[in-house]
Amino acid sequence: MQITREEIIEKLKDILLSASDDPHVLDRCTDGAKLQTDLGLSSVNMLYTVIAIEETFDIRFDDVTVTSFDTFGDVVGYIEKKMS
Amino acid sequence: MDRIYTTDRENFRKYTDASTFDRIVSFGTVNEMWADRVKEYATLTAIEDDGKKYTYAQLEEDAASFRPLLGTGKRAAVLCPNSYDFVKAYLAAVTSGNTAIILPPQLPADAVYGCCMKLGANELIYHPALEEKLATVKAAAPTLPLINITAKADEPAGMTDAKPSDPCVIMFTGGTTGRSKGALLSHRAVMEGTVNGCYGYKDVFNQRYLLVLPLSHVFGLVRNLMTTLYTGSAMYICRNNKDMFRDIAMFRPTVLVLVPALAEMALMLSYKFGKNMLGPDLKYIICGAAAVSPYLINEYPKMGISLLAGYGLTESANLVSGNPDSIGKPKSVGIPYPNQTLRIVDGELWLKGDNMMDGYVNEPEESKTAYEDGWFKTGDLVRIDEDGFLYITGRSKEIIVLSNGENVSPAEVEAHFNAPAFIQDSQVFEDVGENGNRILALEVVPRMPELKGIEGDVKKYIISELEKINKELLPYQRVSRIEVRDTDFERTPSMKIVRYHKCR
Repeated sequence: MQITREEIIEKLKDILLSASDDPHVLDRCTDGAKLQTDLGLSSVNMLYTVIAIEETFDIRFDDVTVTSFDTFGDVVGYIEKKMS
Repeated sequence: MDRIYTTDRENFRKYTDASTFDRIVSFGTVNEMWADRVKEYATLTAIEDDGKKYTYAQLEEDAASFRPLLGTGKRAAVLCPNSYDFVKAYLAAVTSGNTAIILPPQLPADAVYGCCMKLGANELIYHPALEEKLATVKAAAPTLPLINITAKADEPAGMTDAKPSDPCVIMFTGGTTGRSKGALLSHRAVMEGTVNGCYGYKDVFNQRYLLVLPLSHVFGLVRNLMTTLYTGSAMYICRNNKDMFRDIAMFRPTVLVLVPALAEMALMLSYKFGKNMLGPDLKYIICGAAAVSPYLINEYPKMGISLLAGYGLTESANLVSGNPDSIGKPKSVGIPYPNQTLRIVDGELWLKGDNMMDGYVNEPEESKTAYEDGWFKTGDLVRIDEDGFLYITGRSKEIIVLSNGENVSPAEVEAHFNAPAFIQDSQVFEDVGENGNRILALEVVPRMPELKGIEGDVKKYIISELEKINKELLPYQRVSRIEVRDTDFERTPSMKIVRYHKCR
């Protein structure tokens, strides 16, 4: 079943909310928001995010490290590509 | 105040069945232990890595084919990522009369060279994946022999004889304060640490361990790898932490050795997806290298998993104490392991014992100041309760001396603020107040899933709850400012919180 970009963003936001230590993280969650500096994700938060994405979308990240992504939009784009 | 405490392995007897307890025996050297285990467990899987299984006999055969390339009586630096090849390099080096200098694989090329020179490496065993890290060594020390771990000698060589006092490994001390030093551990110390990992729980032998910690850290090397081999267990090497749960689903470990940050993450993922992400067979999480929250100790049993906290240092071959009764005493780091003597001087823990290092390599000044009258001064502030359980109350270097002369241990105060389930981590530190005066301040990182039902401003709620705790503290321990962070604290590579030093 095809998943839309909007649906990916919704699910990813849900993951971010549980990964982050900040209840207001979604207020800053734009396409260009940098994961580490703007959204404040630590290395442990990032690891959680990657694992939760794999579990939620049933995809497997290629040979990437948890710091391979710069922005929120990069992650959305990566999931979109993997799901297409 | 000055008190001395002796230790006794019998203190652990009641936590294990009699036949298992009697199998926990001492070996003087790694060579002696390894020879025995290869004989006893020859056909069992020792290591599983990159889709391949290696039996105890195979591992010895591969180590034997590598030994002749190393010579004997040398210091062999080992630069390998977590892999079967690391295990082969380490075992071959230490069982052929060499001292293994374990280099963290994330070191940049200049640091690899610097460590080799400072620690007196006579040769360097490297993994081809890390060859680019040899650039500085090749340029600045062209005569240092570089040995590719995939190389093989024409004829295998057996183990050499070793004495318990012989040097075995040099491990880097980590920690959140001070610069890194190379701690020299003898065969006796490594074996003591290895055996200590067997005390305080029921299922000890023939387990399935999964490795996620770096083998360049003493917790990974001694408690994970060495105790695996001692107990005839199998160790699955997880090469990338992001694959941890996929590896767990496939390998179904029975024991995991984790730092608290990873244990916390695994718990939160399990809650999010409504299933035990750690697999149906997991019985124990051995947790240490940083303070373990009682929240984790109390939550994990709901999934049928015991989380056992412990305490140790690189200088003590990892293990000083382990908690066999986490539920009964969730704030304790457990009972001290045998063959040590503990002394508490003005609250600071001093140690002597078979597990202790022989000093820092080529650091005469540091080696001298680390000891007093032959006792190693840990710098950790502790207390021991009436049942012999040890508690860490702070670090002597982190003590804050207030203007009124009162001494505050941040860790002791943080333990109070960490008590509510909705607090994940906290840090108490000295800061400058609005009037330029020195104040005690608190920052906390909330555990958001525990705050789901809270209506309105969550931060306000957190602060008001923490204010209640603050009021119950001794007057000089009370903080003047509380801040709820939006982000985690900065952490060291081993995931410990980096402490603020705003007033130093």
